[in-house]
Amino acid sequence: MILSKMKKNKLLVTVAAVYILLGLIQPDKAWQALSNSSYYLLEMAQIMPVIFLLTVSIEVLVPKEWILKHFGKDSGMLGNLLSLVLGSISAGPIYAAFPIGKALLAKGASVGNVVIILSAWAVIKVPMLANEAKFLGVQFMATRWVLTVVLILLMGYLMQKLVKEEDIPVEKVDADEDLSVEQDYCIGCGVCASMASEVFVMDQGKAHVIVGDLSEYTEIIKETADRCPAKAIRYRIESEGEIC
Amino acid sequence: MDKFTIIFWVAAVLLFILSLRKGKAKVKQAMKQSRNMMKSIVGDIVGIIFLIGLVLTFIPPSSIESALGSSNTLWGSAIAAIAGSVTLIPAFVAFPLVGSLVQNGASIIPAAAFLTTLTMVGVVTFPLEKREFGTKFALGRNLLSFVAALLIAALMGVIL
Repeated sequence: MILSKMKKNKLLVTVAAVYILLGLIQPDKAWQALSNSSYYLLEMAQIMPVIFLLTVSIEVLVPKEWILKHFGKDSGMLGNLLSLVLGSISAGPIYAAFPIGKALLAKGASVGNVVIILSAWAVIKVPMLANEAKFLGVQFMATRWVLTVVLILLMGYLMQKLVKEEDIPVEKVDADEDLSVEQDYCIGCGVCASMASEVFVMDQGKAHVIVGDLSEYTEIIKETADRCPAKAIRYRIESEGEIC
Repeated sequence: MDKFTIIFWVAAVLLFILSLRKGKAKVKQAMKQSRNMMKSIVGDIVGIIFLIGLVLTFIPPSSIESALGSSNTLWGSAIAAIAGSVTLIPAFVAFPLVGSLVQNGASIIPAAAFLTTLTMVGVVTFPLEKREFGTKFALGRNLLSFVAALLIAALMGVIL
């Protein structure tokens, strides 16, 4: 249990180990690094709840067809401009844009437009532009802004050509309490993924769950779980108790 | 919290209230999905944040002065672009710092390169981006952004 948690948070564990080592050798440096991090921790605490609310709202409020039409592959120049504006009016560091980009991709936004949103989110922000004009002059700011916008649009175009939708990993909901695939037992036969492709997907030789809303798939999930040769699919659907 | 973050908060809360009017069950389902995604992402973000703390301790913001002040513009710009890629300095620190250097006679080309890679290229956030969007996407976006930053810087040198 702890080991699998550690495996999932490889980065966090590694960084923690570095801190402990540094704390032993140069405690003052470790302390300094910790206090350097505090600003970013505060920033994260301020922005992540917003991102959470936004991803939920996108999921509930925005129909897939709407995203497909305005941010999809065929949304054209207008879609690119819309993405640029959307990224520019945001707040927060670039990692905050990742869940939003991912949610939009899942709803049919094109790779190119997601790249534009992420880049605009990172570089073009009103408070940042004001700050830049103050310290580097309006001319510097305006020139950099125009050039950046042009290159971001160009990058969106290139990335659209470069990256296919299949290159982007699907969000897995393995930790779900209602349906999960026991990774240690799964032998990677692929029966579940072929029987219920809407629910299961194969990734690196193991099956994973990809839907959160199971209500439409209860029958097929039961059937699939019965067929699983390793009995690795665990589910709990409406008061039926846990079945292995 | 700055003004813009507050506006962002207000907008998110309003949208969330609108969502609730579409039905609680739907919202609950969406929250479950988002929670799963957040859970997996937050551990990485916290790891990245403490990594940034380490980077800032050993490569303090003031160390970019030497790159930006370099007499060789080409070399200085390359170093500045790389420095901007690996560090994550808050904008309110970076702008005054770079501004004062430019006022003291540093070239604007490395300055523009640094400011652009600082926000657009993320070596530290790369593992997170890779996990969310795949290697091809993360690598492509960061490399293209790096090239774009150099282009922006060079063009600024020509224009200004």
